Amino acid sequence: MQKYSIFSLVKNALSNHENWDLAWKDPTPKKEYDVVIIGGGGHGLATAYYLAKEHKITNVAIIEKGWIGGGNVGRNTTIIRSNYMHDDNALFSEFGMDLWRRMSQDLNYNVMFSPRGIINLAHSDAQMNMYARRGNSMRLNGIDAVLLNREQVREIIPMADFSENVRFPIFGGLMQPSAGTARHDAVAWGYARQADSMGVDIIQNCEVTGFDVSAGRINGVRTSRGDIKVKKIGLCVAGSTNILAEKLNMTLPIETHLLQACVSEPVKPVLDGVVTFGAGHFYISQSDKGEMVMGGDLDGYNSYAQRGNLPTLQHVLTEGIAMMPFLSKLKMLRTWGGIMDMSMDGSPIIDKTHIEGLYLNCGWCYGGFKATPASGWTFAHTIAQDKVHKLNSGYSLERFNTGHLLDEKGLGTKTWIS
Amino acid sequence: MSQSFRLEHAGLINRDKKISFKFNGKNYQGYEGDTLASALIANGVHLIGRSFKYHRPRGFFGAGVDEPYAIVQLYRNNETEPNVKATEQELFEGLEANSVNCWPSVNFDVGAINNFLKIFLPAGFYYKTFMWPKSFWYKIYEPFIRKAAGLGVASIKHDKERYEHKYEYCDLLIAGSGPSGLASAYAAAKNGARIILAEDKPRFGGSLLTNEVNIGNQSGKDWADSIITELKQMPNVVVKNRSQVFGYYDHNMLVMSEKVSDHLPKTKKFHPKQRLWYIRAKEVLISSGSIERPLVFGNNDTPGVMLSSAAKEYLKVYGVLVGRKPLIFTNNDSGYETAIEFKKNGIDPVILDTRKNPISEIVTEAKNLGINIKFSYVVVAAQGYKKVKSADIASISDDKNYLGKIENIKCDCICVSGFWTPTIHLASQSGNKTKFKKEIDAFIPGVSKQNETTLGAANGVFDLEETLKSSFNAGYEISKKITNNDNRVSIPNSVEKQSTEHDKFWCVPLPKGKHYKRFLDFQNDVAVSDVEIALKEGYRSIEHVKRYTTLGMATDQGKTSNLNGLQLVSNIENKVVPEVGHTTFRPPYTPITIGAIVGREVGKHTKPTRKSPMHTWHEKNNAVFVDAGVWLRPRYYKKGNENLFEASKREAKNVRTNVGVCDVTTLGKIDIKGPDSAEFLNRVYTNAWLKLPVGKARYGVMLREDGIVMDDGTTTRISENHYHMTTTTAQAANVLSHLEYYLQLVWPELRVNVVSSTEQWAGAAIAGPKSRELLQNLFPKVDVSNEGLPFMGYIEGDLFGVNAKIFRISFSGELAYEINVESNNGNFMWEKIIELGKDLNIQPYGTEALSTLRIEMGHVAGSELDGRTIPYDNSLEGLVSKKKDFIGKRSLNRKAFTAENRQKIVGVVPIDKKTSIPEGSHLVKDAKAALPNPKLGYISASCWSVEHDNPFSLAILKDGKNMIGQKLFVMSPLKNKVIPVEIVSSHYVDPKGERVRS
Amino acid sequence: MLYIFCPHCGMRSQNEFSYGGDATVKRPELNKEVSDKDWDNFVYNRKSLRGKHWELWQHISGCRQWIKVERDTATHEIFNTLKADEEISK
Repeated sequence: MQKYSIFSLVKNALSNHENWDLAWKDPTPKKEYDVVIIGGGGHGLATAYYLAKEHKITNVAIIEKGWIGGGNVGRNTTIIRSNYMHDDNALFSEFGMDLWRRMSQDLNYNVMFSPRGIINLAHSDAQMNMYARRGNSMRLNGIDAVLLNREQVREIIPMADFSENVRFPIFGGLMQPSAGTARHDAVAWGYARQADSMGVDIIQNCEVTGFDVSAGRINGVRTSRGDIKVKKIGLCVAGSTNILAEKLNMTLPIETHLLQACVSEPVKPVLDGVVTFGAGHFYISQSDKGEMVMGGDLDGYNSYAQRGNLPTLQHVLTEGIAMMPFLSKLKMLRTWGGIMDMSMDGSPIIDKTHIEGLYLNCGWCYGGFKATPASGWTFAHTIAQDKVHKLNSGYSLERFNTGHLLDEKGLGTKTWIS
Repeated sequence: MSQSFRLEHAGLINRDKKISFKFNGKNYQGYEGDTLASALIANGVHLIGRSFKYHRPRGFFGAGVDEPYAIVQLYRNNETEPNVKATEQELFEGLEANSVNCWPSVNFDVGAINNFLKIFLPAGFYYKTFMWPKSFWYKIYEPFIRKAAGLGVASIKHDKERYEHKYEYCDLLIAGSGPSGLASAYAAAKNGARIILAEDKPRFGGSLLTNEVNIGNQSGKDWADSIITELKQMPNVVVKNRSQVFGYYDHNMLVMSEKVSDHLPKTKKFHPKQRLWYIRAKEVLISSGSIERPLVFGNNDTPGVMLSSAAKEYLKVYGVLVGRKPLIFTNNDSGYETAIEFKKNGIDPVILDTRKNPISEIVTEAKNLGINIKFSYVVVAAQGYKKVKSADIASISDDKNYLGKIENIKCDCICVSGFWTPTIHLASQSGNKTKFKKEIDAFIPGVSKQNETTLGAANGVFDLEETLKSSFNAGYEISKKITNNDNRVSIPNSVEKQSTEHDKFWCVPLPKGKHYKRFLDFQNDVAVSDVEIALKEGYRSIEHVKRYTTLGMATDQGKTSNLNGLQLVSNIENKVVPEVGHTTFRPPYTPITIGAIVGREVGKHTKPTRKSPMHTWHEKNNAVFVDAGVWLRPRYYKKGNENLFEASKREAKNVRTNVGVCDVTTLGKIDIKGPDSAEFLNRVYTNAWLKLPVGKARYGVMLREDGIVMDDGTTTRISENHYHMTTTTAQAANVLSHLEYYLQLVWPELRVNVVSSTEQWAGAAIAGPKSRELLQNLFPKVDVSNEGLPFMGYIEGDLFGVNAKIFRISFSGELAYEINVESNNGNFMWEKIIELGKDLNIQPYGTEALSTLRIEMGHVAGSELDGRTIPYDNSLEGLVSKKKDFIGKRSLNRKAFTAENRQKIVGVVPIDKKTSIPEGSHLVKDAKAALPNPKLGYISASCWSVEHDNPFSLAILKDGKNMIGQKLFVMSPLKNKVIPVEIVSSHYVDPKGERVRS
Repeated sequence: MLYIFCPHCGMRSQNEFSYGGDATVKRPELNKEVSDKDWDNFVYNRKSLRGKHWELWQHISGCRQWIKVERDTATHEIFNTLKADEEISK
């Protein structure tokens, strides 16, 4: 594989860029694989990469209905953080932070991970206390967190609303300085390129039509490009989990919902880190291109429609202006909807299933992008070793039966309430 | 230089009104009716800005919404707005604008160094470098890149403008006022339909303003004027200019942004700057026309290269010449129309036609006018840096693969026409699967998905007669369906010059040895070579190409670049265009001001504010308020220089020693009636409700089906079949829906009705040892003795002529009562309480004192009932009936919920009895343990116990039941605190509950 | 914004309603033995498929009635609405 560097860039420039290699090949599916990962999104690609890198399992295919990186890894607001209250979520995410920090070098692909911090704004003392509970929990778990008072917040984000004409004044905020953003597409492409180079087959435009299950174990997968025999299958299709679960006669504690996001036209740098509004569901950051990247609510009803919805965005942007009134004069450029696996406690599932050889990675709610490396790493471990790693032991399917729930928000099973 | 490119007579501008404006600090003049673009061109200004990546000079490419280049920073009425398209901004007196993305100036831009480095900056270059050393990305490279990106500047000043929303319903919404929009609007309006006709430009008429056609024996423009005049007078018609229908959403909901004041120097009083229309239309007619496609050749981004239709529009609408030596480069007849207009105005254009021998009325006219036409000729490259100075041209072989000898001809602008792309955005947004129409090399709408019909050029029909016929018919047929009227207007005759087929050629090959950049996306600097690299590297899906190269991702959203991008990929990949696919169009069609999307819900009006009837009294008595959901509640009443801590301590202490009064109006109240009410409550609450006598209240806990506590509160049996339920402030709405859900869907056989009565009642809690005495003062005729009104008793009384409900319930743990009166009597009640309590040393108390009182009593509230805890966790297991079934009961047997060491509420007291315990801290065994330090529980609520005069907290603690008496540490690393504490019972005051019964 | 037919009030915009999830989920009867599996299916597990979906909405800013709506989760097209006491026929 070509190594990317300033030198390779100059060298190729001088040969008129005619000698760049394929970032990944376009193979036809083989008849049989050791492992098939269904879903060529961030998590699927990362899983294949770690299967090859950490477990030396390379007879692996990723099969993807459309084109790789076309799902939520390419349709999110790129936030990376580990500011969780529950231990299982916190330790898992912090492990991921470590992988993020090394990712560009590890993948030899600049994913532009940029730790510019995240601030969760609080608008009452009660909310400050809730954040203190979360922040203290983070600190006791070895994760960086700082509680900011109003003045400290003002110093970092003076464009937030500190005026008198405000419905929900800012009391302070919880900050995780090491949180940040990354270039989402690059994450998918970087993992794809390395996985491909280690022998993983990336098979695009290949739709799963069914599974071959007998005697309680998985034997193969049927696809639009032929049947594939396989020992182990990793399901990694957040957003379509319910559809594939149906083909496996499984009903999961997951509903499929639409999350709305949008970007403004690009402007010169005005906001450095990520900020979330505490009196609603709005978050914002500014991309390297200058666009303000904004997100917030679910549409509020089950949906597979991958498109923006203005009434929801109106609600999101109302909170945006409430938090940062200057946004009013910017223009909304693009909107999109991401299809989410909303699990019944707001936390994901990375687990074995009752079918031998079938492994499940789903339920990421809004938090899928940041989890990409840790999810891939632990899922690869779970598949390779046929047992969960300590890091994803909390993400069991069984927890909904045992009551060991990981409900960060305390909203319960009404997944459509964001 | 004063408007030296303005023609003397042509155009629709108002020459009687001169307008002064500034661009990059220099004064210019234009006319009313100009856009900033037309006025600058009139003054010979073509250098407007710099491109995103290479900082190449940028001029004007279009004349409207499709403009990729001409983006400015606008100054209007002491406010500034980034990224305004000069082609859309109407000129107003005093307008100021500056170039963006250049430093120090548009003429001398340091960033232009990138233009020389461009061979090192191909598509995706940043993915391949800036990785070493590791920390340099976000410390050095990225800040530099961020600074270089970003077009205009966002002021962080608050927006003083006002934006409005309007909701409309109509039979037909017609988007676009060109020939098809006018025809269908007229036919439908005459047939009695309620219509809205929307035009994004200031002037109605669309292509009729620039095309030489006749309709009904008058010029196209005159016909358009007469139709609009008539439509405006009809009561069933709304006609809107400056109004862009930008989104087609579910169920025929369309959204339109109306620029009410953007064309004025400042917004008039009581007027909005913009108005957003949510329109629910029965039918939608999309007459959005088409946009001319560029031809692609070397340096085709040089200022002076523009769409031929734009050149014609500047000429015919604004009376402005885009150049005096125009070169027209076309693959179809449209370029000729522009050339003819030049010629008519005394300018000699040269036409390069890629076709070999086109025969049509238009071509013949051009020949007859003596215009110099070169057939089978192409522009190879534009020459000139900040403005076109000449063009390298060459003949091209019939198979379009080989160029002839390169010649250079002088010119000062190059007007390109690569045929027309229907504007199918709205149809695509509606869910319509568009289809590729080979004859025009473009997509048109397929089968209607919602109630939309696309007409005219937007539907790929470029013939006027056919457009008028289909549009008149559509207007008639669709309106007939809705109104059942049958008034059909006749279709006027029309005359237009006949044209012939276009040439499918669109991209000029590079001459040998030349590496000209041939741009597809002008704003994002995406060239043919970038797409080639992307494909070479395996980014082959059109979505990959888009994302890797950023093609079509700029603020013009690829209006002029998408289709050429698709053509290029299809050529290289050897596929037909529809196989390559196309990106689905999503709203908005064009960027929309965020303020307009939000409307009036800004500042204090972001969310409603709810106030109790006693709010004014609280304000007058120095209450400091706190948000409780959307309610405002007094947090404490400030006396002198007291702070929160001192005031709440005083107020709480007064409750424990005398009597206090607290506004509890915000509590949710639900009226429950019907013969099966008791049975219903018995299913809703965890405890038993069948035997509650009339005149008695009971505390209850309700669960969600997953076993988690949903809410708590008291419910009182008012009469045999009538109950009064209270909920927490936060959960009031949810609880009502919850009850309605079970009554309507799960147990419809129960004869029960529920209705919210929160707004009907004002509530005051009077609490403290002297509260009975106060109650007696308030209700002299009522027997308020412990026998007459026992704990959890309920009676009605007369409060000096006002009916009142009296509940003997207590949240503070003291002897206490809650009095409810109808809301409009709330203030009367409150003032009476204060007046008659004066001698008993009554003081009002706020939520902070209320918290103190409930915490030291071990009563749970929102911070314990946080959506994660079960009754046991809150020591409410005594209220969980073992005998009967209820909502959520089946979930309580889950393994984690019944675990021996399950978390439970406890009290926490600092060993030193002095150090306050911050809320949100955690309990650990070993304060010095290595991280991650296992957490045993968390502090849910803290107070200063007024009873014991030391800090006291509640905590949810693992194995809480067995931890009483243990010594642990409270840790708050955020506040750098480690506090040794002792675990005690959560009932820190009056553990036997004697006071409430006294 | 969806346009929902309320069988009690007529066509109304979505912002008058609140959502209530899968309408085919049936609460197990009170006071009857329920297996873990059935209970978990009721509390947590959902099909949530692409395509036609019977779901609950409450006309919260109108008549406050819960209604059943058959809607396509991919196109958002609404085919049918029923009152709370009307059974879904499959």
